[in-house]
Amino acid sequence: MDKRDPFRHNVLTSGHRACSGCGEAMAARMVCDLIGPDAIYINATGCLQVFTTHNQQSAWQAPWIHSVFANAAAVASGVEAALRVRGKDTPVVVQAGDGGTFDIGLQCLSGMIERGHDVLFVCYDNEAYMNTGVQRSSSTPHAVHTTTSPPGRLSQGKHHLKKDVISIVAAHYMPYAATATIAYFPDLKAKVEKAMGIKGPRFLQVLSPCPLGWAHDSALTVTVSRLAVETGLFPLIELEHGELTGVMRLAEQKPVEEYLRPQGRFRHLFGNGEGAAELRHLQALADARICRYGLLDAATEWDTQSAMQSMRHGRGGYVPVLQEEMEK
Amino acid sequence: MTPELAFEPGSSTAYHTGEWRIAKPLYRDKWPPCGQSCPASEDIQGWLALASEQQWETAWRKLTERNPFPATMGRICYHPCEQACNRGHLDSVVNIHAVERHLGDLAIANRWRHAPLDELPKRQRIAVVGAGPAGLSCAFQLVRRGYPVTVFDAQKEPGGTLRSGIPAYRLPKAVLADEIDAILALGIELQAGTRVGREISEEELRDRFDAIFLAIGTQRPRRYQGDASSHSVMSGLDFLHRLNRGERMVLPSRVAVIGGGNTAIDVARCARRLGAQVTILSPQDPPVNHLTRRGTEMPVSSQELMEAESEGVELLYRVGVRRLVRSGEHLSGIEIAHVDQVHDRHGRFNPVLFDGTEAFVPAGLAIFAIGQQVEWQGLEGLSQAPESERVWIGGDAGGSPRFAVAAVGSGYQAAMSILTALQDPAAPFAAEEKPHISFKQMHLEYYPARPRHEGRVIAQPLDGFDETVQGLAESDARQEAERCLSCGVCFQCDNCWHFCPDAAVIKKGAGYEIDYDYCKGCGICVQECPCGHIDMEKVE
Ligand SMILES: Cc1cc2nc3c(=O)[nH]c(=O)nc-3n(C[C@H](O)[C@H](O)[C@H](O)COP(=O)(O)OP(=O)(O)OC[C@H]3O[C@@H](n4cnc5c(N)ncnc54)[C@H](O)[C@@H]3O)c2cc1C
Ligand SMILES: Cc1ncc(C[n+]2csc(CCOP(=O)(O)OP(=O)(O)O)c2C)c(N)n1
Ligand code: SF4
Ligand code: SF4
Ligand code: SF4
Ligand code: SF4
Ligand SMILES: [Mg+2]
Repeated sequence: MDKRDPFRHNVLTSGHRACSGCGEAMAARMVCDLIGPDAIYINATGCLQVFTTHNQQSAWQAPWIHSVFANAAAVASGVEAALRVRGKDTPVVVQAGDGGTFDIGLQCLSGMIERGHDVLFVCYDNEAYMNTGVQRSSSTPHAVHTTTSPPGRLSQGKHHLKKDVISIVAAHYMPYAATATIAYFPDLKAKVEKAMGIKGPRFLQVLSPCPLGWAHDSALTVTVSRLAVETGLFPLIELEHGELTGVMRLAEQKPVEEYLRPQGRFRHLFGNGEGAAELRHLQALADARICRYGLLDAATEWDTQSAMQSMRHGRGGYVPVLQEEMEK
Repeated sequence: MTPELAFEPGSSTAYHTGEWRIAKPLYRDKWPPCGQSCPASEDIQGWLALASEQQWETAWRKLTERNPFPATMGRICYHPCEQACNRGHLDSVVNIHAVERHLGDLAIANRWRHAPLDELPKRQRIAVVGAGPAGLSCAFQLVRRGYPVTVFDAQKEPGGTLRSGIPAYRLPKAVLADEIDAILALGIELQAGTRVGREISEEELRDRFDAIFLAIGTQRPRRYQGDASSHSVMSGLDFLHRLNRGERMVLPSRVAVIGGGNTAIDVARCARRLGAQVTILSPQDPPVNHLTRRGTEMPVSSQELMEAESEGVELLYRVGVRRLVRSGEHLSGIEIAHVDQVHDRHGRFNPVLFDGTEAFVPAGLAIFAIGQQVEWQGLEGLSQAPESERVWIGGDAGGSPRFAVAAVGSGYQAAMSILTALQDPAAPFAAEEKPHISFKQMHLEYYPARPRHEGRVIAQPLDGFDETVQGLAESDARQEAERCLSCGVCFQCDNCWHFCPDAAVIKKGAGYEIDYDYCKGCGICVQECPCGHIDMEKVE
């Protein structure tokens, strides 16, 4: 056990092989430390699974199983049912990439929700199949350059739109489904804690920038995720039994260009006429999402500024790990 | 029974991802612009942080390490720190002087006492000439380190120009006296009413003391040379000295004050309070447009000018005195003319007047506030002595910028030189070299906008010398201190700790440590640190 940090368990600890600046590693460490080590984690195939369990070395300091790519939700359903039979209420958590959620894992996820399993499903959405070298998924946004959606004569990157998975999930009469991202830790924390307080199936979609696939500077991972929210492209919302119950208001709407510029996956859109049309399209997509969720006029104090302000001595983190407990 | 695994997995921590690193983050304290521009080098960020946590006494102790006059400076300092404050790039600068004053006032109300730094008594004796801010600051630093210090002052009461020049409505005498008492209580011997060069000779001083600090200010007013008679003519300094000694002069109904600086404004506002109608004849323009040519604007704050005008002081800009108009001895007024150039080709203050622009300003008294110089009479020998003879000159007399906190800073510097020369065990006192930080290295998005708290201006009858600006309430002082962005100094916001994808930032009780075994050098912590505390360095 790694016990370096008296204030955090580090469920996902150091030494993992994620790229420098990986948003998925950051997101998973935050989520798992908020849940704690007393849970069973089921991981679909993907970067998170590969970079944390390399060469017979594990970065997990909690019970953790690797399922296959498609069936993480089914494995979790089984684990949860077995625990129930044994009279235990250990939390069960699925972790999967967007490929393992939006595409190949969708059917098992849908079944798990429909059967009402008491499981939290966390999707780390980095908007492509990263572990196999950046192929487009149904989560990849419109106009993005991936190895399977190269810009050229016929299209400016991916032709299709990003799948609205949160609506699909919510449409299952889902107790709790929410979006979050790493830039706003207090928001992510509130959502994880809320999800853990609810019985039944729960779903979190955590936008997790990938410096490799998005082709941005590794230092900009948090900044880029923040801009995704501030531009309206990635709304932070909560849906309970299909109803919109919470949004994070935008203190100020930023133009999408601020989000797109630092990312190489949008580079082809700049400096040519067809690209310019796509830039307008992406701006229109952001405007439509803002309008759909009322991101500029929602009646809430919770906005992109209040969720981000920093404070002396922090704004609360994880349940503190006591020194004696660490020694055990 | 736990089933046996085909292999026992190890921990990923056995693998050191730190080897991937091509750049290395480093925690490093910076020196914020407020402290850089405070002439007393106060650790402003440091004491504001303590004040924001309501550790008032500790904050006061931190502040007074460099400046034992917070209640005084919080009232009268021109606060260059605020001009430099990075918060100005976000909304409005931190009201540093108001929090400083709050700390000083708390110290007075609670009778906090300065503590000695070094209990070990030293033998070498030090003489300080002049009990103004420079002299007292130097004495304070030395006596706290165990040296016997004697302070001489020609005046009956200590305080220098703070007491004799600055009017009570800006700095109540009791506030100054309380802060001075706290300094003297450390065991300084004060010989008031003792002019060095008259009551005690230079030679005697040299014989009796191992080091001498001259902090005699600029006590000789520059006088108007254009008129043979001194009837109905006074210097601003004499006027203020008499007033500050408690004398309530009877003035003619109209008074003209000649000069464009702070002294002129103080004189005018005091004369107003004594019932006269007052006109300031300023050789310069009002201080509004900082883009105009250097030296053509009054070197005063527009705030002070506004307060003077609201009290009914009239101002004439860009005018100089052609002659005093008398009927017999009696002054009937002043002939003025338009000032073309304020300074001559050598940069000296020497207004050039235009012929044909003359006008008449009626006045029964002309008060000239046109500058002041060092009075070296009786100190000619010491004035030439080099530092090797253990004689130092500081404050206004030593050429520091002529404002009080510069004198305090100069007193501190002199004390450090004296300690070095006397081979104090703690010497040398090399200033800690910290890199500076500008707002460009910070991430202002992390700070919400918050309004600045101001001390209230109290309306009062015009003949009063009571204080015009109120201090902050305790909760306002705390909130104002919280507005500090902590430029370049970690304020434990946890960002780097939360955001490190590699769990390479370890949170310790009071700080953080980077575990370089695992840090991949992604740079996120640097990018997301609000205050610019973390630097990135290339590794070879
Ligand atoms: C009217 C006026 C208003 C001002 N307002 C402000 C303000 O609002 N804010 C600000 O920051 N600054 C202000 N200043 C400037 C500030 O007061 C001075 O810069 C500061 O007091 C200088 O400190 P000092 O210790 O060098 O000298 P001083 O304060 O002038 O003290 C010198 C002392 O030395 C004594 N002395 C002189 N010769 C001898 C001798 N031979 N033997 C013994 N004692 C001697 C004098 O009696 C005097 O007490 C003002 C100045 C004036 C004149
Ligand atoms: C059935 C199956 N098909 C394909 C793969 C190859 N594969 C491994 S990871 C991966 C991509 C994972 O993408 P995603 O779920 O988005 O996770 P990410 O790596 O982006 O975090 C693929 C296609 C596989 N392991 N199993
Ligand atoms: S490819 Fe992207 S998701 Fe995968 S480890 Fe690298 S940064 Fe993380
Ligand atoms: S914000 Fe604070 S630390 Fe920064 S310059 Fe202003 S007072 Fe100094
Ligand atoms: S965030 Fe972590 S890995 Fe990245 S540079 Fe900072 S300490 Fe290193
Ligand atoms: S990010 Fe916050 S906790 Fe980390 S060094 Fe900067 S101020 Fe300190
Ligand atoms: Mg993916």
